[in-house]
Amino acid sequence: MKRPVLVLTAASLLLALILGQINHHLGAWQLHAWCGGLFVAFAGLRLGYGAGAAVSFIAGLLLDAGAPVPFGTQGFLFLAAHAFVFTIRARAPREETVVGVVVALITNLGLFLAMGFLRIDPAVAPAGFWTRGFADLLVSQLLLALLAPWFFAVQQRMLELGGANTRDFPRRLT
Amino acid sequence: MFPQRFDQAKPFVTLGLALIAWLLVPTALKRMTRATFFELQAPVETAASYVRDVQDFWALKTRSKEELIEAGRDLARLNAAYEVRLQRDAALRNEIERLESILKLPAPAGYRAEPARVVRRDFSSWWQQLVIRKGRNHGITEGSPVIYSGGVVGRVREVRAYTAIIDLISNPGVRIAAAAEGDTRPISYQGGVNPAFGPAFGTVEYVPLDVFVSTGTPRRLVTSGLGGVFPPNLTIGYMTRVEPSTDGLFKSGDVRLDPALADLNEVTVLVPEIEPEAR
Repeated sequence: MKRPVLVLTAASLLLALILGQINHHLGAWQLHAWCGGLFVAFAGLRLGYGAGAAVSFIAGLLLDAGAPVPFGTQGFLFLAAHAFVFTIRARAPREETVVGVVVALITNLGLFLAMGFLRIDPAVAPAGFWTRGFADLLVSQLLLALLAPWFFAVQQRMLELGGANTRDFPRRLT
Repeated sequence: MFPQRFDQAKPFVTLGLALIAWLLVPTALKRMTRATFFELQAPVETAASYVRDVQDFWALKTRSKEELIEAGRDLARLNAAYEVRLQRDAALRNEIERLESILKLPAPAGYRAEPARVVRRDFSSWWQQLVIRKGRNHGITEGSPVIYSGGVVGRVREVRAYTAIIDLISNPGVRIAAAAEGDTRPISYQGGVNPAFGPAFGTVEYVPLDVFVSTGTPRRLVTSGLGGVFPPNLTIGYMTRVEPSTDGLFKSGDVRLDPALADLNEVTVLVPEIEPEAR
């Protein structure tokens, strides 16, 4: 496996554990933060296609491992989001942190809605489900906006320590 | 080098191919990968829960001696009350055993109580689950009921080496055979939508027409013991509203669950002494 994939998988693991701890404490208020977009944004914007897709897919599988969903659900959602981000990245100044945060927020919104549609139970009142979902989405987006600049810096620094440089990866597939 | 149009479509083509390849991967391999990914995260989460316990310990160390003396006195009173109840419980147990031997009734299967600390709470609109700090190494089995001082917590969904995942009763996918307190007719309970900043709710179906409740006079909903998973008479919650269902044969309504469910730190797993398959 390529070194950037291993390094960024370690970063994803760190983020998953931090989010787990935050959700443990948010649980007392019946709130939940889900920042799927944050696992995808950096890999989609800064890495080559193969490495970025692998990082996104593995991050999804990490989240799937403890969730009551078919194994691979979040993995493929992240892979689809990565494909989308990778396709549009040539049109944006992808090295800018602000661009990364905005992409992560938009990706998270799309992924959150996709997960909501996948998880909705027909036996449960949809209005109540989406009202709660909206509260969770609001918390998720706020937390993501707070964590994203730090997490991008961590990923960048870990890549540098691992001997890889994101400037080595081209904007488009070659 | 590919033409630019194909370059733009390549990520999505790769996604489709990966999806097809994933569908062809054997289930055993997926299960093994899932377990590996879970066990990879488990030590850190467990360590974090130990750190929280140490934090709580040091927070308690700051309490004054007067507070400790007061707490000790309250506990002594509680212990005295429990001693009386234990004696009464032992007398009733002896009476039940005597009647069972006279009537030659088979003794019901018992449970072994396994207390466990909560590692992680995960309460979203999609699922409501807890991870606890005991697993296969402690004899926990899948499907075992989980309780706390206030009643039912849920059911063990997955068991790993030294952790287990519990589906809470507030989880929309959880169904339990229940009954209104003082009534033996079965009612179907299901976890419902859990609003933010408030207690969790569940729903009931097939409530007999002569059961009346309101927000002011709620009625306790308990496990019926049917289905063999949960022992009977454990509190699930309180029915706060029931209305006739569309078919007019039964009623359906809401169940308010204990707000303490959202803040649990310790639960007890009731491990069946006989495997459910063997019963």
